[in-house]
Formats: sequence, structure tokens, C-alpha cells
Amino acid sequence: MSGDAAIATSVFGVFMVGTVALGLFAVRGGRGGGLAGWSVGGRSLGSVFIWVLMAGEGYTSFSYLGAAGWGYNYGAPVLYVVAYMSCGYAVGYVVGPMLWSYARQHGLVGITDMISHRYGKPWLGAVVAVLATVFLLPYIQLQITGMGVVVSTISYGTISLNWAYFVAFAVTTGFVVVSGLKGSAWVSVLKDVLVIGTLGFLAFYVPFHYFGGYGPFLDRLVAEKSDWLTFPGHGDSGFGQAWYATTTVLNSLTVVIFPTTVAGYLGARDADVLRKNAVWLPAYNILLFVPMLLGMAALFVVPGLVGAESNLALFKLVVDSLPAWAVGVIGVAAALSSIVPMAVFMLVIGTMWGRSVLSLVPRLRERQKGASQVVVVVAGALALLMTYTVPNTLVRLSLISYEGMAQLLPMLLLGLVWRRLTLLAAGSGLVVGVAVVCAFVFSENDPVWGVNAGIVALAANLAVALCVTYAGKGDRDPRPDSEVLASDPLPLPLMESGRV
Amino acid sequence: MLRRRPHLLWLLVPYVLFVGALPFVNRVRPVVFGLPFLFAWLMGATLLTPLLVWLARRGDKR
Repeated sequence: MSGDAAIATSVFGVFMVGTVALGLFAVRGGRGGGLAGWSVGGRSLGSVFIWVLMAGEGYTSFSYLGAAGWGYNYGAPVLYVVAYMSCGYAVGYVVGPMLWSYARQHGLVGITDMISHRYGKPWLGAVVAVLATVFLLPYIQLQITGMGVVVSTISYGTISLNWAYFVAFAVTTGFVVVSGLKGSAWVSVLKDVLVIGTLGFLAFYVPFHYFGGYGPFLDRLVAEKSDWLTFPGHGDSGFGQAWYATTTVLNSLTVVIFPTTVAGYLGARDADVLRKNAVWLPAYNILLFVPMLLGMAALFVVPGLVGAESNLALFKLVVDSLPAWAVGVIGVAAALSSIVPMAVFMLVIGTMWGRSVLSLVPRLRERQKGASQVVVVVAGALALLMTYTVPNTLVRLSLISYEGMAQLLPMLLLGLVWRRLTLLAAGSGLVVGVAVVCAFVFSENDPVWGVNAGIVALAANLAVALCVTYAGKGDRDPRPDSEVLASDPLPLPLMESGRV
Repeated sequence: MLRRRPHLLWLLVPYVLFVGALPFVNRVRPVVFGLPFLFAWLMGATLLTPLLVWLARRGDKR
């Protein structure tokens, strides 16, 4: 092991041990509270923790790797990430408090639970949980492989990919099984400090180191790489304006019902925490410009990266230009950007199964928390195992993950505000929507007609749901609307002034 | 909901800035502080989004 490798690897190792310790520290003094105490932090988190946690979830390993890689390969199309996250966080101002109060009122811990309650059918929650798990597992793998390449790069090859994958799994499982959402929030604190610090530093350091300042860097970009700077971007990307617009709309709606986002919402102490958060969370997105721009800076420094290598565009610059200890610290920031989202993905899968699937087995109904914790380990281990043995299966599945999850929008969001939507209608829509997504994606027709295939599927989904609703008789659920539907709990001053 | 809380329309403005305006801002020049126009525009939209959500919240608090 060379000196540099030893330094960077030691920095990394120390921080990983610290991460597990910090995650476990979160539950000091009592770990009661049952399933809700673990999976939604006992609904106790205040404004700061919710901001830190949700920023931590949103900024994944994709932000370091994929965003830089897209910037490197295509340029402008990568901006869809900033667009949908900003629009989605704004929509969260309404949806977050609505879901929070629905869950609070009925003691629910996740979207599968909400769907069971809305339609009065426990089995439906189980079916949706299985479907959502299929969509989420690939994300765990993406975090594992993302962290793998980062760790192997910043250790100058000392830690092999396979070991790095295992470290990702071990560290994450090490705290999330015990400390759940609270532990993830605490680790997010460390993560956000490091991410903000290192990206803020790189944003200035890289242009000055390689180009002598921002002016010369940007001038060169405009002069030599102008086809990267507008849609449809460089090369035959297929990601034109129509694709950007539809993807932004679809993803911004999907991100607010994404099970991990909802886990963050439900962890809030009250609805107003979420409104404050919706104001401050979009500010974090400004950081996304850093890897995008630096990905394009890499075009000048390390030209000719192809395929998966382009994902390392940013890290090639880091390793090339900085001393080993700094490489280690930046690697830790990137690794934590895998660990925090992965922890919440695993937590959410565990919660869905413990609450909505395994609870159908009478013997496990009283042990939902324990069952959920076991599922966390199983889900993580499964993703790790598949990474080793059949990596391409999950990569292919990941292509349908986001667009597939979007198909839950009518069943969940529309269902919560519109009583007439029946189970049969929402279910038929979901089946059609998921089928259309699979058909387009697996036949390699995404984008289709220049737009995001998921939005075509959502349109079909919605059309079917509406037709079936209007064609059939209403449901015979005797519960009153106030029991079945969600409402946005208005802030107190408005209610007190009697204007509602 | 919108009849009682019309200020929630502020939440749609990010869509106008990020999506609606795209055909008009999809250009490299004029360069703003060295940034290509499209990037400068979207960076501005990103910085404005917190303000727009704040306006919605201010409406709720009144």
C-alpha cells in the first residue's frame, strides 16, 4: 500500500466507524416506541432534523457520480434533476402536511399502510408493498455499487470493489437496524456538513486549479463546448426539451410520494415543520450544480472517458489534484451520500413488510418492529448478493423504478382527496400503468416520442382509473369521508380567524 | 382548496420557471456572469424556489 493509499484509507475507515457510532448514539436512553418509534422516529423530529434528513435522502450517490457523468456525456439534460427536485419540494408544501396528518390521525407508518387504510383492504397494502420493494431494491444496489466505485477510487485501488460493496452494506445495516429513522437523521448531520463543505470547496478549487479561475473556465466552456450547454445536449442524447419537461413534471409529483420521502414527512413533529422545510429544502439544490459543472470541467482535464467510467468524471479530478487526506474526506462525503439514502431505503422496505405484509400472519402481528428489523437485514443482504451474482438484473429493474413508482400516484394521492375513486378503478389503473412502463422500458423505447415513457403510462393509468370509476357503482365502504380521506391541516392562525 | 387559499398558486411558479420558460431560455448567450444563459436561468430559478414557497406560507399564516 502506498503512502497516499494508507492515508486516504485510514481517513475513510475512521469516519466509517464514526458513522456507525453516531447512528447508534441517536437512540441512547430508551429505545421504546415500537414500530413507529423506529420507522418514523416516533414522529418527533423538529425543523432542523427534518431538513437535514430530507436533504440527506435527496442527495444520493447519483449526485456525485451520475450527475457528473451526465454533465460529462450530455451536458444540459442533467439539469432535469435540479428542476424536478425544486418543483417537487414546492409541491411537498401541500402534500407533506396532508400525508403527515393522515398518518398521525390513523396511526400509519408508510404509504402501503395509507393505501390499506384508504381502501379498507389490508391485502392491498401487502400487494403494493411487494411492488414497491421491487422498485426500491435496485436503488439499494445503486447505492452499494456507487459507494463501491468511490471507495475503490479514493483508496487508490487498495480496497477492492467487492470489499467496498460489503463495507457499504455493513456500515448501513450496522446502525439502521437498531436506530431506524432517528439514526439516519443523525448520520445525515455528519453527511450534510461534509457534503456542503467538500462541494463548496471543490466548486472553487477545481476551476482555479485547472483553469486559473471561474472566468477562464466558463469562457472555455462557452467557446469550445457550446453544444453541451443547451438542450438536447451533446451527441445524440434523445433527451430534448419535451423529455426534460415531462420528466420534471412526472418526477416532481413522484418524489413527494416516494416511500423514502414519505418516511421523512412522517418523522416530523408537526405539520408546520414540513411547511417550514418546504421553504428551506429547495435551497439545498443549488449544490447540485457543482457536480454538473465539474463534470463538464472534466471534459477538458480527462477527455475520452466512456461508458461507466464517465461517472467517475468528478473523482478523477479529485484524485488527480488533491492530497491524500483531502481525497479521503471527499470520499467519505460521497460514501455517506450512499449510506444515508440506502439506510432509509432499507428502513422503508422493512417497515412496509413488517406493517403491511408480515402482519397478515397472526403470529407476527404483535411483533411488527422485530419483523421489520429482520426484513431490513434481508433486503440489504439480498441487494448485496444480487450485486455480486446478477448485477445486471437490478440495473435493468432500476430503469423502471421511478416511472413505476409514479404509477402509485392515482391510487394514493388522488384516492386520498377523491372519495369516488374505487379500489377496482385505482387497481386497474395501477396494473395498466406498470404494464405500459415495462413495455416501453424493456423494449428500449424510453424516451418514447421524445417524452418520458412514465408520463405516457401515467396518462393511461389515470384514464383507466377514471373510466372504471365512472362506469362502475361507487364503493360500499360505510366509513365517513373524514375517516377515509386526507385533508391539509391548516396552520392555526387561519383556523382561529374563522376564515375556513 | 384554491378558493380559500389562492396563495398556493405560488407553488406553481417553479413549474413556470423550470418548464414553461424553457423554449425561451434554451440558449448559450447572453452569458450572465460568465455562465451560459440556460444555466444562469435555472440557477436563478433554483434560488427563487425557496422564496416562492415562502410566499405561499406567508399567505397561509395571515
